[in-house]
Amino acid sequence: MSVTLPDERPEALARGIGLVCRDLSFSYATGDGATPALSGVGLALPAGGSLAVIGPSGSGKSTLLQVVRGLDRPDGGAVVLDGVEPGAPRYAELQRATGLVFQMPEVQLFAATAREDVAFGPRRLGWTEAAVSAAVNEAMELVGLPEVSFGGRHPYSLSGGEARRLALAGVLAMRPRLLLLDEPFVGLDPASRRDLVAILERLRDDGVTLVLVTHDVDLAWRLCDRRLVLADGRVVAEGPWAFAPADLDLLAANRLRAPLLVELWRRLGHPPEDAPRTIEAAAEALA
Amino acid sequence: MNAPELTHAALAIEVAGLTYRYPGAESDALADVDLCVRHGEFVAVVGANGSGKSTLARLLGGLERAGTARLALACAHDLLSPEGRWDARRDVGVLFQNPENQLVAECVEEDIAFGLENLGWSVDDMRRRVDEMLAAFDLMDLRRREPHLLSGGQKQRTALAGVLAVPRRVLILDEPTGMLDPAGRDEVLSAVARLRSEGLAIVLITQEMDEVAGADRVVGLSRGRVVFAGTPKELFAAAGVVEDLRLGLPPAAELALALGARGRRLPRLPLTIDELSEMLVQSA
Amino acid sequence: MRATIGQYYPGSSIVHRLDPRAKFVAVSALAVALFVRDSFAGLGVFAIAAAIAFGLSGVPPAWFWRAFRPLLWLVGLTFLAQVLFAPGEPFLSLGPLHLTWSGLETAAYLSLRLAVLVLIGSVLTLTTAPMALTDGLVWLGRPLRRIGVPTHEMALIVTIALRFIPTLLSEVDTIMRAQRARGVDFRSGGLVQRVRNLQPVLVPLFVVSFRRADELALAMEARCYRPGAPRTRLYPLRAGRADAVFLALTVAIIAAGLLV
Repeated sequence: MSVTLPDERPEALARGIGLVCRDLSFSYATGDGATPALSGVGLALPAGGSLAVIGPSGSGKSTLLQVVRGLDRPDGGAVVLDGVEPGAPRYAELQRATGLVFQMPEVQLFAATAREDVAFGPRRLGWTEAAVSAAVNEAMELVGLPEVSFGGRHPYSLSGGEARRLALAGVLAMRPRLLLLDEPFVGLDPASRRDLVAILERLRDDGVTLVLVTHDVDLAWRLCDRRLVLADGRVVAEGPWAFAPADLDLLAANRLRAPLLVELWRRLGHPPEDAPRTIEAAAEALA
Repeated sequence: MNAPELTHAALAIEVAGLTYRYPGAESDALADVDLCVRHGEFVAVVGANGSGKSTLARLLGGLERAGTARLALACAHDLLSPEGRWDARRDVGVLFQNPENQLVAECVEEDIAFGLENLGWSVDDMRRRVDEMLAAFDLMDLRRREPHLLSGGQKQRTALAGVLAVPRRVLILDEPTGMLDPAGRDEVLSAVARLRSEGLAIVLITQEMDEVAGADRVVGLSRGRVVFAGTPKELFAAAGVVEDLRLGLPPAAELALALGARGRRLPRLPLTIDELSEMLVQSA
Repeated sequence: MRATIGQYYPGSSIVHRLDPRAKFVAVSALAVALFVRDSFAGLGVFAIAAAIAFGLSGVPPAWFWRAFRPLLWLVGLTFLAQVLFAPGEPFLSLGPLHLTWSGLETAAYLSLRLAVLVLIGSVLTLTTAPMALTDGLVWLGRPLRRIGVPTHEMALIVTIALRFIPTLLSEVDTIMRAQRARGVDFRSGGLVQRVRNLQPVLVPLFVVSFRRADELALAMEARCYRPGAPRTRLYPLRAGRADAVFLALTVAIIAAGLLV
């Protein structure tokens, strides 16, 4: 792997937040009436869990993340964070502990130096300069862009993969305990993709609750223990991965396939749910 | 020195010793690159970021000053001269990675006509050619659609139709699927496969191994130099080269490499799960 | 979302199908004629003609109101000026404010003229697609090419700008959301704070736009674009008999308006 991640885990990224969505509905108001983007969406993700949101284009995946983060208020239903309902006193604080990484997040970079950009979020949280500094250094270490060498670099002088990791650092610096990522791998070269997967695995293993929207079913299988299949704004399947024939039919109906390792295990006569999550583990098992 | 047109008429692209350095750069973007593409051939060019592959695409399309070379011909036009580069732009089409930043006009059919308008085609000829392209790329229903209402795959198909509206002899695609979702990727790759069967010379620049499979030949670039030239089969068998080039591997290939590292070597790099499971069963 | 830019209201009425050059010339001539002399009768002629044209276009009247409403403050100002400074015998006085018949008459005329001007202009912008209008202006501006004004390139600039406006709008929305997710509150704070909040939006927008310009220029060159070279059009402008009739009618209306 080309990026070197630090050995010490920062305890700052504490226990993850649990997420429950109850019957969410949301429509975008357009000129000619409302377009429903989400209808009756519900999910339950325990603290520290990892959820892959998969489905065809236009199924409402991005909208779901934005509603969960609180950028849009749902027309119906509720987003419950760590058991706290919207409107309760602690809710705003929990929303601030939810990080959202948009598609092609490097577009949001704007500061003169990398460290200034990463510091932007934490500063807005009202932390002391010392706390901001610590968070910036930590976050940049976490994404393999040590502050010492990259801090003074101009964001636009970074390569595509580096810029994306810097944008991620900008969100991680706010110490999110629930991290939402919208198609984080799109437009990345293969080497940078591998780097990013390693970073997300590290975050997941550290206990951050992860919600990952991706069209890459194999990465979804590798990184997440649960999945939510969306189609046309509705939930088609929700919960831990399942590969009974009915589930496979469901995936196929939504133009999704089963993860390769799962399919391979099935063909080799083993129970598909037992398939290993990573290529390395599969190689160990088969060698 | 022979008249290039006569001796090399069979070659769509003929480049020997191409070296190019960006102004102010510390090292060459391309160093001593040789590349030949016959008419009707499908050549894949692979390499990591910074290997020079995009620079090569622009040079071959006559879009960049050519640097130095013993020979640099695209459809017999001399890429080392300004007139040659201008002529090359007509015969060599280039499709880029970002679908958004290739569409210029208000709607699909006007964008497809853009190149023809630039070349001064008559209204009737344009009308006919645009309709041909709309049909060929399954865009008839979208002809009046505005670009911002198209999906990524639709945008890239429109851009491709626009590039090929001008009759070309060579098509260069610079990582055309990098920003697309699986559906969009399929749309573009099937369009390319169809073009291939129609006899167009194609140079596909990619970092994804599975896009290389259908090529006649593969050229691997690393830091501006050619480090591999051979068939896809030979590339799949050269696991070390694949790793060095840091290409994107389908999971089946990655698993095969990981098995190889643990001592269980498979005869060649599988690309699909079918190939992999077959090989595993056979070698068990 | 269909982006309606410059108020274009798509349709296929007889007015929509007129050549943009004829419409532009007619509208310009009428606009000038409006100011040649002050006469309610003349204004009435122009108003009726414009209203008929608007009616024929099939565009809902609400669209005219959308164009005129932002100018109501001007109407208000006109009335106020007349109320304060008009000469003549007041029929009603309230301290320093004097209401005179002539003042009211002037205010009414000026406001009505403004409304007719907007109505005439709306007929043009509501029934002519931005690209068609640009093409028309380029053609009309041909003499300018001889003195070196790059009218073809300007037309291309307009094309590209129009094409990317919806894209940019959606990108601004996305960037603002991303920065909101990092804690920026665009709706709060004083003027200084709000201006400062624009930086994380404008800088990325500029960068995206410059990169886009680079890539787009390359793509255009790859499709044989050459600045200054003559270009044909897939949908060239074609003036017909209807346009000649229309122009003749316009001349008649102007004559009537000036003579009545």
